[in-house]
Amino acid sequence: MSEEQVVLEVKHLKKYFPIKGGILKRTQGHVKAVDDISFDVRENETFSLVGESGCGKSTTGRAILRLHEPTDGDVLFNGENLIDVSKSSFRHLRKDMQLIFQDPYSSLNPRMTVKKLLMEPLLTHKLATPKEAEEKTVEMVEKVGLSTEHLDRYPHEFSGGQRQRISIARALILRPKLVILDEAVSALDVSIQSQILNLLKQLQEEFQLTYIFISHDLNVVKHLSDRVGVMYLGQMMELAETEALYDNPLHPYTKALLSAIPSINPKEKENKERIILQGDVPDPSDPPSGCPFRLRCPMAHDRCAEEIPRYIEAERDHWVACHLYDE
Amino acid sequence: MKPLLDINRLNIDYQSNKKEFNIIKDINIQIDEKMKYGIVGESGSGKSLTSLAILNLLPDALKVDQGHIKLNTDSTKDLITLSKKEMRKIRGNDIAMIFQEPMTALDPVYTIEYQLLEVLKIHKNYSKKEMHQKGLDMLNKVGISRSEQIMKAYPHELSGGMRQRVMIAMALICEPKLLIADEPTTALDVTIQAQILDLMNDLSESHHTAILMITHDLGVILETCERVAVMYAGQIVEESTVENIFEEAAHPYTKGLLSSIQSLGERSNELYSIPGNVPTPDNYQELGCRFATRCPFAMDKCYEQEPPMFEVQDDHASKCWLHVEEAQDDERRTSRAGS
Ligand SMILES: Nc1ncnc2c1ncn2[C@@H]1O[C@H](COP(=O)(O)OP(=O)(O)OP(=O)(O)O)[C@@H](O)[C@H]1O
Ligand SMILES: Nc1ncnc2c1ncn2[C@@H]1O[C@H](COP(=O)(O)OP(=O)(O)OP(=O)(O)O)[C@@H](O)[C@H]1O
Ligand code: SF4
Ligand SMILES: [Mg+2]
Ligand SMILES: [Mg+2]
Repeated sequence: MSEEQVVLEVKHLKKYFPIKGGILKRTQGHVKAVDDISFDVRENETFSLVGESGCGKSTTGRAILRLHEPTDGDVLFNGENLIDVSKSSFRHLRKDMQLIFQDPYSSLNPRMTVKKLLMEPLLTHKLATPKEAEEKTVEMVEKVGLSTEHLDRYPHEFSGGQRQRISIARALILRPKLVILDEAVSALDVSIQSQILNLLKQLQEEFQLTYIFISHDLNVVKHLSDRVGVMYLGQMMELAETEALYDNPLHPYTKALLSAIPSINPKEKENKERIILQGDVPDPSDPPSGCPFRLRCPMAHDRCAEEIPRYIEAERDHWVACHLYDE
Repeated sequence: MKPLLDINRLNIDYQSNKKEFNIIKDINIQIDEKMKYGIVGESGSGKSLTSLAILNLLPDALKVDQGHIKLNTDSTKDLITLSKKEMRKIRGNDIAMIFQEPMTALDPVYTIEYQLLEVLKIHKNYSKKEMHQKGLDMLNKVGISRSEQIMKAYPHELSGGMRQRVMIAMALICEPKLLIADEPTTALDVTIQAQILDLMNDLSESHHTAILMITHDLGVILETCERVAVMYAGQIVEESTVENIFEEAAHPYTKGLLSSIQSLGERSNELYSIPGNVPTPDNYQELGCRFATRCPFAMDKCYEQEPPMFEVQDDHASKCWLHVEEAQDDERRTSRAGS
């Protein structure tokens, strides 16, 4: 990539959820699900967010689309600040930004057939006549590996992976500019997963799509992404081009994550060295002082408890928040 | 000794007034006490329906039309014939299930604490305080950090992976004899996945719990199971020990699955995938091998007659005509050499 056009700018985004408690249901504190993260997403790239369960990936995706109103920060889509635009112009922008939800079961209306589910967004956004919508529906269903005979079935009549593909079809049928895919292929077996990943790549080239790909599967992320951001406890720990991140991870957390990728080769199983992280993911409503990772970091030293590491560009296009790189 | 769970010639059909077709055909699986057994196969191959049948939880339009599913604990019960009430006694006590989609199992209007402790209330005799403590311990074990807060939370306040872990906690807390885990770690990253798999292992050691692990992920099978059945289009196409399947896969479908995982992780442009898709039940090949349309080795015979489950080596069976052909060739060769 030489000319890098930024489509989405996320600046100091925060999302805190209040914790209510006691008999009076007063706010007793906050879950800092997303705590001051910033990143750019470039046109036509696949930007991935990785990190352990509960680190704030889905919340980031939802806050970008204002499905959760951000507590603070800005989100610029093609220069326009999504946080200040009016409801009506936001709705207009929204069709260019689709989210594929992590839980297909709760995001598909159980009373709509597949055909209805796919045609509906096209019709409500007035992007097609009913006849065109039907043609597109047929085409899309086949692209995700289902067949036209499935069009009259309801979501509960499908397997888990089939339902996930229905949500993918539903999001892509609008030909959005930006798609946020939240664990969109995680329930899929390798074969259909490869097929969907190939489809995503092909559509990306054909329609200049930009993806934010949220996943815990580091093999898939490596295969698909141009750049990867690693989150921990609501914060960005490291961000780099895919190759740089996998070949030369800087942050101790990234190193541990990468070392834990399960081997698919039985012979490698024994001699692979794993960095086992000690301790549990800390409580996001009561994060440790200093570096959020320090309680589990094998490299932690005094400074880590005292100072929050700065997020710096340690190498070109390679950002990291760790004292080891900020002498 | 009788196996703990004995699935014998299980068939499931779809029956509505409009249509009727077969979905699951001739499933045979024996799981001994403490055994870790895997079912692997592509999306739509029938893994979840097989597991739902064990707990009598099939959707209305689906019927078990043959076969039995025997659970041998102190007594022997055929799970298919049990009433709803008898089944409820078994669920949560003898058998616990981790469902593929957490939101189907979690009730949005109850707190996590209420749902987590429900099985304990029914099946065990603990004081309120003991139960609460057990709940907290279990949440900690599945790696949930702010367990006190999470006990009071509702499912929508949890991340996807946290919901999955709460469901795992719900299944493990009652220390079942058989744990059915349907894609239990799909929403979890590798570190927590490893922790959860360890936890299941511990349970299996300490309570002799047998595990039926259902997954599309051959890596998970390799890490956890002793035996594995490979499913395709509602049938088992290959069955053996995990070592045999990984090192000497016999069925063309299993071989395809293995090559598709090996191509992932390399940053190439195209990933290997078995051409085509798993057909849905209304499109199953009526005659012959259900894999024939996607199989690179298919012969005429494959479209005409259903292949038998063939013993390719000791304790290793595969449902493919190629083995029969090979065996016949071998036989011919030896008899020619002999004459
Ligand atoms: N209620 C139903 N009515 C009709 N067909 C169904 C029903 N439920 C499932 N099926 C079909 O039966 C087949 C097997 O479904 P099952 O859920 O067992 O698949 P699976 O192996 O668990 O797949 P996945 O990995 O995607 O979860 C699928 O083709 C599915 O579409
Ligand atoms: N609606 C909500 N109310 C309160 N807390 C919430 C809500 N949604 C998320 N959280 C909390 O915010 C934190 C981050 O959740 P998020 O769903 O963003 O995680 P994630 O990185 O997507 O994890 P996973 O990989 O498990 O899906 C979690 O601690 C979660 O409990
Ligand atoms: S029986 Fe024929 S079609 Fe079926 S897997 Fe074997 S070779 Fe392929
Ligand atoms: Mg999530
Ligand atoms: Mg399933």
